[in-house]
Amino acid sequence: MFGWEFPPYQAGGLATATLGLVKGLLQTGLQVTLVVPFPIDGRVLPELRLVSTAGLRVALRRVRVPSPLTPYGGVGEYAAGRAAAARRIPGTRGTTPYGVDLFHEIERFSDVAAEIAETEPHDVIDCHDWITYPAAQRAHEVSGRPLVAHIHATERDRSGAGENAEIRRREREGLLAADHIICNSLRMRRQVVESYKVDPARIHVVPWGLDDPSAAPDVPEPQPFPDDEPVVLFVGRVTRQKGPEYFIEMARRVADVVPHVRFVVVGTGDLLPQIIDRTVELGLAERVHFTGGVSGPDVDRAFRMATVCVMPSVSEPFGLVALESLRNGTPVIVARNAGVAEVVRNALRADFWDIERMADQVAGIIRYHELHRELRAHGLEEVTHPRFGLAEPARRTVDIYQRALVGAVRSH
Amino acid sequence: MPDVSIYCQVHQPYRLRRFRVFDVGRGHDYFDDAANRSIVQRVAAKCYVPSSRLLADLIRRSDGGFRIALSLSGVLVEQLAAYAPEALDAFRELVATGGVELLGETYYHSLSALIDPEEFRAQVQLHARILEHEFGVRPQVFRNTELIYGNAVAPIIAAMGFRGVLVEGADRVLQWRSPNYVYASVTAPGLRLLPRNYRLSDDIAFRFAERSWREWPLTVDKYADWVAASDGDSVHLFIDYETLGEHQWEETGIFDFVRLLPEAFARRGIQTVHPSTLASRTPVGGLSYPTPTSWADLERDVSAWLGNGLQESAHRRLYRLAPAVRACRDTGLLEQWRRLTTSDHLYYMATKWAADGDVHTYFSPYDTPYDAFIAFMNVMQDLEQRVSAEVAEATEAGLDTEAELIGASTR
Repeated sequence: MFGWEFPPYQAGGLATATLGLVKGLLQTGLQVTLVVPFPIDGRVLPELRLVSTAGLRVALRRVRVPSPLTPYGGVGEYAAGRAAAARRIPGTRGTTPYGVDLFHEIERFSDVAAEIAETEPHDVIDCHDWITYPAAQRAHEVSGRPLVAHIHATERDRSGAGENAEIRRREREGLLAADHIICNSLRMRRQVVESYKVDPARIHVVPWGLDDPSAAPDVPEPQPFPDDEPVVLFVGRVTRQKGPEYFIEMARRVADVVPHVRFVVVGTGDLLPQIIDRTVELGLAERVHFTGGVSGPDVDRAFRMATVCVMPSVSEPFGLVALESLRNGTPVIVARNAGVAEVVRNALRADFWDIERMADQVAGIIRYHELHRELRAHGLEEVTHPRFGLAEPARRTVDIYQRALVGAVRSH
Repeated sequence: MPDVSIYCQVHQPYRLRRFRVFDVGRGHDYFDDAANRSIVQRVAAKCYVPSSRLLADLIRRSDGGFRIALSLSGVLVEQLAAYAPEALDAFRELVATGGVELLGETYYHSLSALIDPEEFRAQVQLHARILEHEFGVRPQVFRNTELIYGNAVAPIIAAMGFRGVLVEGADRVLQWRSPNYVYASVTAPGLRLLPRNYRLSDDIAFRFAERSWREWPLTVDKYADWVAASDGDSVHLFIDYETLGEHQWEETGIFDFVRLLPEAFARRGIQTVHPSTLASRTPVGGLSYPTPTSWADLERDVSAWLGNGLQESAHRRLYRLAPAVRACRDTGLLEQWRRLTTSDHLYYMATKWAADGDVHTYFSPYDTPYDAFIAFMNVMQDLEQRVSAEVAEATEAGLDTEAELIGASTR
């Protein structure tokens, strides 16, 4: 399996989802060799204990390829990312030990992939999004094993109108080369069929699962704000894709009708300065709190201090944040077009641009305790159902691997 | 050979528009006129007009041998008059055949029977008045909202002069008994109870077009044989009128089924009779309904409307305002409040997600039950403020003070 993000190098939900998938696959008894394109860093290991359960250590092999690839952001962000990656690695301060541009890095990754495909025993090749496709395609050419491609987000999801033609080309080639494609929502499936003319029979929808669906603790935690100050939460990268500007405009409307309300923005991204400026402009400087990037248990804690979480994503192939919110007992409002809106019933839905509607829903949840109670109880009940666990997506993924293997045998 | 009594409920609520918290204290039009118009017109075209014409035709051709009963809610009649007058005419013509008995109910299709006897009586009287005005008839048999009935409400219904009530043939009430008889109320012995045969009713209402059902396709002869083979004195088939052409589309063959039904019954010697005819018969015994039953969902209780915290709190808030709103001199406020008593508003808030949840979703104009709750509570907020202002004004003017009522109702 060719991956990109993997804890702790993570900028979004994809690392969580990939980790969840790998864990689930290992639990089915499958052996997974994960090839990841990030530099080896000793400080990473203590945190990696999250994955390294006893059984996992035996079965999971991580092969690391030195590369500063980041899944989010395109070619433009690469230069900045490269310097940052270099700084993270001991002994590389101020130097750039890797190639000069993103596509060059992908080439390097692919070369290594070819080597790995020759030396590592495997039956099926899996990969995640465009950045790993060339590597997986090379491996496929070398070993002839069936190729399964996950697609979590398309270039259009990430960049909107400013799509990169080269990335689109690679996305397309990878998807057309794959024997089977796995995506996380019906909406994504439609998009892949429409954008890349892929045969829909080869595309399978497997919604993401949650590693630990029951995270909400019984013991009340100390809260940062007084009890009578409701908290409205945003969790995600502060980028165009996640719609933070709609969150801030909505915050203004909510503050108009709900006294003492607070807003917390968890995450960072290129829109952050702009969002902070707008917050000040709207007179919300004292009401909106920015936490920057937060990871692991602190994210769960953020959910638990919130009265309601809002996910106004412009584009959201899945939206794991919604499930994470629910499992912490926090009602959530999701963008109507998010993949997660297809699978979760006990969430409110709104169009990402419909600020009035989101504000009305937020105000309703804050004002009417019965509503909060019902959403919380039904949401928890729903998200702790096995269909949102890791076993179900893993089982369905293994089914698809098996189909790929049968297809490969037939074609020989 | 049992007789058959066929009854259909005809109702459309005034759906709320998406009333946001920002609208509170600003605009007072709570109802989505455009949506209500288009829904009523659509259902009129698919169901009310063709069904009423078909049934009128069948009654005329049977020389009065084919009989049915209908109940039209007051809010439906109003909306037909406003949005689909040709459908109201079709109902008038149907009633004019003499083969149709109209039943009494609450004008607003409300749950008032469960919580507010005064309001219940007022709404039943309003309904009787509109039947008199539009159709020139006085109902003798009662059918409460969605067949909701319990021991407690029977004396109130009897005291208003009704001789019989349509009730759900719920297993937990009937136990070993058959629904195919006329029973008496245990709390109002003069009142006859006609329990619905839910199996035979739902064969048409829900299963008719269900291809996975092993009896599909349901032919008229097969169905008439089932009825003929039933035990008891009279089979009570109660369904939504909208089943004909709206829930079950014309393409399913539902109209052809109805067209052939009178003759299929007649061939087997099955007579169709009106509920008031049955209400004159001697009951075989008493039936006790200690807790309210209805024809909704698998539970056949009132949990479709009052099954969760959202519904209960919305319902409580609504009726808490009743005394104050009735005391207001502004009849427009009372009218708007009464439209909110229509049970559908609570039905949309149901959070049952099993098989019945899909039925709720089918009828709901909202994305989720939570949105239904938010819109309703925002409207209640606005209405409460207006009622408070009205009372404050009246008090200042030195008129009869209702301040105490308001104090109790808008807290």
